[in-house]
Amino acid sequence: MKHAEVLVSVRNASKRFGATQALDDVSVDFASGGVHGLVGENGAGKSTLCKIVLGVHVLDAGSIRLEGSPLRLSSPAEGAALGLVGVAQELSLLPAMSVIDNVVLGTEECWGPFVSERANRRRVEALTAEHGLEVRIDARAGSLSVADQQKVEILRALGRRSRLVVLDEPTARLASHEAAELLDTVRNLAERGVAVVYVSHLLNEVLSVADTVTVMRDGRIVRTGPARLESHASLVEGMTGRQIGEVFPPKPPAPAEDAPVVLRVDGLDSAGAEFSDVSLQVRAGEIVGLAGLVGAGRSEVAHAVYGSVAVASGSVEVCGQRLSGSVEDALAKGVSLIPESRRDQGLMARRPVRENTTLPHLRRFAGWLGIRTGREQIAAGRACDDVGVRAESMLAPVSALSGGNQQKVLFARAVLGAPQLLIADEPTRGVDVGSKRAIYEALNRMARSGCAVLLVSSELDEVIGTCHRALVMRRGRIVAEHESGEMTEAGLLAAAFGPGDGTDRGRGQEPEAAVGEPR
Amino acid sequence: MMAQVLPAARRYGIAVVTVALFVLLAATTDGFLSQANFRNILDQQSALLIAASFATITMIAGGFDISAASVFVVAPLFALQVENATGNAGLALVAGVAVGLAVGVANGLVVTALKVNSFIATLATSFMVFGAGFLISDRSVLRASTDAYPAIARTRWWGITTGAWIAAGVVAVAWILLSRTRFGRHVYAVGGNAEAARLAGVHVARVKAVAFALAGAAAGLAGVVSSSRTLSALPSDDFSFVFGVIAAVVVGGTSIAGGEGAVWRTIAGAFFIALMINGFNLHQIDPIWQRVIQGAVILAAVSIDAWTQRRPQ
Repeated sequence: MKHAEVLVSVRNASKRFGATQALDDVSVDFASGGVHGLVGENGAGKSTLCKIVLGVHVLDAGSIRLEGSPLRLSSPAEGAALGLVGVAQELSLLPAMSVIDNVVLGTEECWGPFVSERANRRRVEALTAEHGLEVRIDARAGSLSVADQQKVEILRALGRRSRLVVLDEPTARLASHEAAELLDTVRNLAERGVAVVYVSHLLNEVLSVADTVTVMRDGRIVRTGPARLESHASLVEGMTGRQIGEVFPPKPPAPAEDAPVVLRVDGLDSAGAEFSDVSLQVRAGEIVGLAGLVGAGRSEVAHAVYGSVAVASGSVEVCGQRLSGSVEDALAKGVSLIPESRRDQGLMARRPVRENTTLPHLRRFAGWLGIRTGREQIAAGRACDDVGVRAESMLAPVSALSGGNQQKVLFARAVLGAPQLLIADEPTRGVDVGSKRAIYEALNRMARSGCAVLLVSSELDEVIGTCHRALVMRRGRIVAEHESGEMTEAGLLAAAFGPGDGTDRGRGQEPEAAVGEPR
Repeated sequence: MMAQVLPAARRYGIAVVTVALFVLLAATTDGFLSQANFRNILDQQSALLIAASFATITMIAGGFDISAASVFVVAPLFALQVENATGNAGLALVAGVAVGLAVGVANGLVVTALKVNSFIATLATSFMVFGAGFLISDRSVLRASTDAYPAIARTRWWGITTGAWIAAGVVAVAWILLSRTRFGRHVYAVGGNAEAARLAGVHVARVKAVAFALAGAAAGLAGVVSSSRTLSALPSDDFSFVFGVIAAVVVGGTSIAGGEGAVWRTIAGAFFIALMINGFNLHQIDPIWQRVIQGAVILAAVSIDAWTQRRPQ
């Protein structure tokens, strides 16, 4: 590595979003010619820090300097003009256009009003040759693999003579060999004098590619130091040093030994390759956590049980009755699912709270002239009160509620079905601490009333704080089972990452992974 | 006070505007406030209301059905062929509705099973149906051979034509279906968020297909009522009927994106446009200028709708 000089330095930066202190007195230097890893749990402030450097957000307090002179950015375009570029997790390519067109987009070489195809081609060829990035430059961007698309994004950044490139979870959607290739590209970038900021939940990846690592927690910097002095364990310890505290209400009593088994899954194989040979049981009154990394197949198992994705073989029984594999059948046999994304999979945003609550249960309000709205109103109101939905009116559109309250509407929908089995997929994603507590209480109440609960969660403290038992999935299989007393973050993490947890270059066999998912 | 009035005005805007137009015309226009004029408006709007009330349901379910024009043209050709052959007006009515239903079912299958964009799918079926119209009519005007066929829509009960009564009945059915039944809720769910609907146990494809089928049947009935009013039917490839239908639905405030809307909105939209044209005619405004103004009003209505949607609730 060439000896680095500081390109961007952030001093005493603070940023607040509403009630959340996203960044709190953060100081850090990003050096040219080095890869700077940024790790931390969800909400630790990694993304906010990057966005401030790129000009997406403006600081509340503190300062940024670019090569020693003060920098005040008010838009990402200004940042880009100075060579500060971000490569987003979600790619922003135009799929119908060629790689060349994508790379030069906005900076096309022109001859009068006409785009000079030849000059652009030469420029892109020069770029790919210089950086050793092999891409078919005449292919349509949409026809490329995700890894190649990622390269196109990087080429685009390079084509703008970038001096600092922020990569946010760049390997999240890549297969492992593609990821290894991308890491080479990242090293290459740094060797050419670019300052690279590398944000990832994959600690091994960060350890292998970064020169310097900054660990963040709760909007603050825990420490910044050379990557070679860190280990997987030391990073985890730094990231998760938080007390579990009062977020979690006391767990309901564990079910008796002879409590009936509500959910029995036997040898379930997915129709795709998402999971295989999954067997598990959940008893009445028991909360079982399904932990693991993103992409380990947890949501897919949840949906397979619910009948909303196809399975190749295996059986699912609820209270001794075999499910046929359709959502309707699952609902009829007392299964409720609270999906991962309330916006995409859960709610009809512009419809009233009442309709969103009762949608799967309309049959029970049937009268001779359609739905008896009076009864519906009473039942929906009661269910919403039960889980503490705060809405001005049951007729207000659900989009008018806060994220936490929207999530509670989905709980109300589930409660209204009086399910035997409740499957909750990341139920506290994107909700504030107060609503989290209410959601945990709702889960507990369901369990106390004899409902079996299967909780899919990426938050390890959530699994430890709420579950009687945790199953850990890795690469589509259940690899570990931890009882309430023996659950630790380290233990669950170790199971989720699996053996061979070295600091070797590349990322071995691990799937797209996260300690916690990005929110 | 304002805090309550504003959302209500936004919600019931089209109804307010339609009433305002009514009052304006009543105050300024001779001959507007007469029973004959109102009966006339009702009778003229009957076919459009029949088709538009079910087109609303399709649009809320996230579909866009432009085959209504072709069904409107061709269903009465079938009906009149049946009537000419059998002399039975009831059978003719059933045949016309059945043709519409068949086209609607085909649309529904193409859209849900083959997953073709509904605008394109119904454009394609429209051409086929228009073509079938020329074939079965032998490219000539068909006329009713009995008095029973014209009686379908021209009989007067309490001064109102049966065409208007049929329209009122169809509107009531569509209204109740959409606002009071499980099917109606499923329509809103499918158009608002198909994946969420699926996970709530809604049969997304079935709901959409049924919406298309019903819209086809309604367009068939609209065609029969219209031909009964005019005593004849003529093969053509004229899309203008469906533009009137879509204008009524959209001016009423039903979202083209699906998931939002109501039958009462479409009724209000249809009467807004009808009153406007009635006013133009009573003031003897040049029909060419009427078109220009009508287009501008539709544009304004849709723009206001888009603008209010953008603002937070």
